[in-house]
Amino acid sequence: MTNSNRRSFLKNSAVASVGALVLPQIIPSTAMGMGGKLAPSNRLVMGAIGTGSQGKSNMRDFLELNKEVQFVAVCDVDTNNLQKAKALADGAYVNNDCRTYGDYREFLEKEKLDAVCIALPDHWHGIIYTAAVEKKLHVYGEKPICRTIRDGQTIVKAVQKNKITWQTGSWQRSRPNFHRGAELAINGRLGKIHHIEVGLPNGNRGIGTPPVQDVPKELNWDMWLGPAPKVAYRGVSHWNWRWILEYSGGQLTDWAGHHIDIANWGAGLEHTGPVEIVGEGVYPREGIYNVPVEYDFNCKYANGIEMRVCNEARLEKGSGTTWYGDKGWIHVNRGETLFASDPKILEEVIGENEIHLIKSDNHWQNFVNCVRSGEKTIAPVEVAYRAISVALLGEIAMQTGQKIQWDPDKEEIIGNPMAARLLDRPYRAPWQLPTI
Amino acid sequence: MKKRYSLLLLLAGFFLLQSCQENRAYRALIVTGQSNHNWQASATILKTILDQTKLFSTDIAQTPKEKGDMSNFHPNFSKYSIVVMDYNGDSWPEATKTAFLEYVKNGGGVVIYHEADNSFPDWKEYNEIIGLGGWNHRSEKDGPYVYYSKNQLVIDTVKGSAGSHGPQHEYLVRARKADHPILKGLPVAWMHGKDELYSTLRGPAKNMEILATAYADTAKRGTGRDEPMLMTITYGKGRIFHTAMGHVGKDATHPATECVGFIVTLQRGAEWAACGNVTQTIPIDFPNVAGSVSRPEYKEVTLTEDLDKIAAYTIDKSTKYLTDLQARIRQVSGNPAALLDLEKQMVSILKETGATVEGKKLILKELAWMGSDYCIPAVQELLKNDELKDAATFTLERMKGPRKI
Ligand SMILES: [Zn+2]
Repeated sequence: MTNSNRRSFLKNSAVASVGALVLPQIIPSTAMGMGGKLAPSNRLVMGAIGTGSQGKSNMRDFLELNKEVQFVAVCDVDTNNLQKAKALADGAYVNNDCRTYGDYREFLEKEKLDAVCIALPDHWHGIIYTAAVEKKLHVYGEKPICRTIRDGQTIVKAVQKNKITWQTGSWQRSRPNFHRGAELAINGRLGKIHHIEVGLPNGNRGIGTPPVQDVPKELNWDMWLGPAPKVAYRGVSHWNWRWILEYSGGQLTDWAGHHIDIANWGAGLEHTGPVEIVGEGVYPREGIYNVPVEYDFNCKYANGIEMRVCNEARLEKGSGTTWYGDKGWIHVNRGETLFASDPKILEEVIGENEIHLIKSDNHWQNFVNCVRSGEKTIAPVEVAYRAISVALLGEIAMQTGQKIQWDPDKEEIIGNPMAARLLDRPYRAPWQLPTI
Repeated sequence: MKKRYSLLLLLAGFFLLQSCQENRAYRALIVTGQSNHNWQASATILKTILDQTKLFSTDIAQTPKEKGDMSNFHPNFSKYSIVVMDYNGDSWPEATKTAFLEYVKNGGGVVIYHEADNSFPDWKEYNEIIGLGGWNHRSEKDGPYVYYSKNQLVIDTVKGSAGSHGPQHEYLVRARKADHPILKGLPVAWMHGKDELYSTLRGPAKNMEILATAYADTAKRGTGRDEPMLMTITYGKGRIFHTAMGHVGKDATHPATECVGFIVTLQRGAEWAACGNVTQTIPIDFPNVAGSVSRPEYKEVTLTEDLDKIAAYTIDKSTKYLTDLQARIRQVSGNPAALLDLEKQMVSILKETGATVEGKKLILKELAWMGSDYCIPAVQELLKNDELKDAATFTLERMKGPRKI
């Protein structure tokens, strides 16, 4: 901790003690009559819900921002992860102040925060994102933002109602190659875009059917399951929840918030959805993992664009996003990859009066900046919802084996009540998706 | 049995097991009788697999044993749509070889099975038909090594012997021409049952396409290359399907040929060799990267068996019967009558007193999205059951459609 940082920290604490409050020791700036804005000199007072590998990784990314944020509380259903997250926060500020919670309800009730960073299994997103947003907290939320279309619609509505700043963990938007590729595509450097290929990772191999076992003492299993059906513990929780449909849609829904999101960005499809979705999934025959290990579906948009989404082994270009237009193609992927059918396309300059996509070179900084300025983030909730909708509709097409007709304006499946049931997933009592 | 074989051999010079199935589109002839493998078992297995398609009626032609008098071995190839080579042995009489080549050149189909690509190292035209071969002193003189490395096709003329494999193990087969009729609609990768992984094959590789490869892991004494497993070759007007898989030895079980991946690619490859097209549908139990799938009796699992197993399901048992049911639902989901038919059978499990709680939960989960009004009384009945109340509630809730926001 540098001297000046310590001074600002002490000043912050002092304010708290003058206010004679036990909690919080750090006053959230947005609660201090700043009109919801954060003065540049003040740190963002943050908490984290979900402190597994992704949660801690986000905390580290925030902590690296030259001490612009301060984590004052963390929440997790696993006490091991919780203690590690507390150590991370305390280590950064050289104190022992970070408070810990096992129940997000108590966390949201007691803590007075500016913002919260949330990284949970997808089946919890609907409830906890909405609850945090309804507390008027600014949210950095992991993708995919929802497990079902209905969860997603609820979250979007809550964000819009509460006018908070939302950043989705779709950090590829803050990398130069993805930004450049999307900006070239949307400015017509490929001519008219007619189709897009999105390659996502191949599915996971199974683990068979592990025996039912004792729940580790650090884990609150019932709380981990939350709204999902009650099942016996088989050693599947952190990280590997990704391969079970009750909690996730597998690689497809995990990566939708990256490569499908980027595809939408470059093709101007960020605020709409497909009108027709058809495809096939390959499901493991044996074992408790039941997400598709291969997937391949095609989406048609009202403007004629088609988007194929499939596991990377099915595409010549493998993983990543490729826009195809009348004049060629552009392919973007992780590892700063940016290719085009003609390298000259990549040298094109975007003119002053053309479309300039929001530019960010640090995804977490962009969130903090937007909380301060009140501007839209680079990955707002509405576009995150549209990206994951593509995957969720593909999932429905694959599960039902049917061609799905979707109305992207009314956000309804047309003429197929059976498939429409899959737009939602009933919660286990007593959990409920809040009505906004 | 042996005695009767010998008698027939004396009479005809070779033994022909005539198939009696009627109304089948194609006739297939399996040629066997000599091999370093258990051909007595494999020929029957291949016949079972082919006949099961209801496309083929399959005969088996058996050569005289090793060093026997081949002079009368002269099957009438031209009667058949495909000739399946399950043979690795002595040379054939010149007239038989000529007849075989004429058959292929004129458009006859051929299936090269496993050790048949070891056979006839000195018969030039046969090696053009198999594309790649191994063992029996094959080397650089017979053609290049052909394999994939880092997703690139490699044709390597370096000196060296042909044919090798490490210990048998399960391995991942990966499609390289997923749009070929033989592979179209299959997963792009699947786990193959325990088998030899034929490696370092070499040959003329003329007019050959590699449809699928398997990575020969160095940890299993493999080459570290993606070795060709499924190939197609054309020779004259003839179409050849070559599978390097399917080892059948002296063991009591044959996991390589019981593998659904082997069975289905052989069936589809055989149809393609016969007519250039594949009409067979993909079975619900086709394996994928998640694990291999075996059919110990070479029979496809029936709906009745799936439902019986679901009715007896407990959480320590296999869920594969549920996966099958899900695939069956998908197959008929656009057809309300067929779907209702399936629903009625599922509901009967809900009503069965002998069915397990866990089995009923599996059924309830599916009914939640595909059930009609028909299932509702049976599901409501389960609300009275403490162990099934939650699952029944889930079903009834989901059937109402999405919640209002
Ligand atoms: Zn063998």
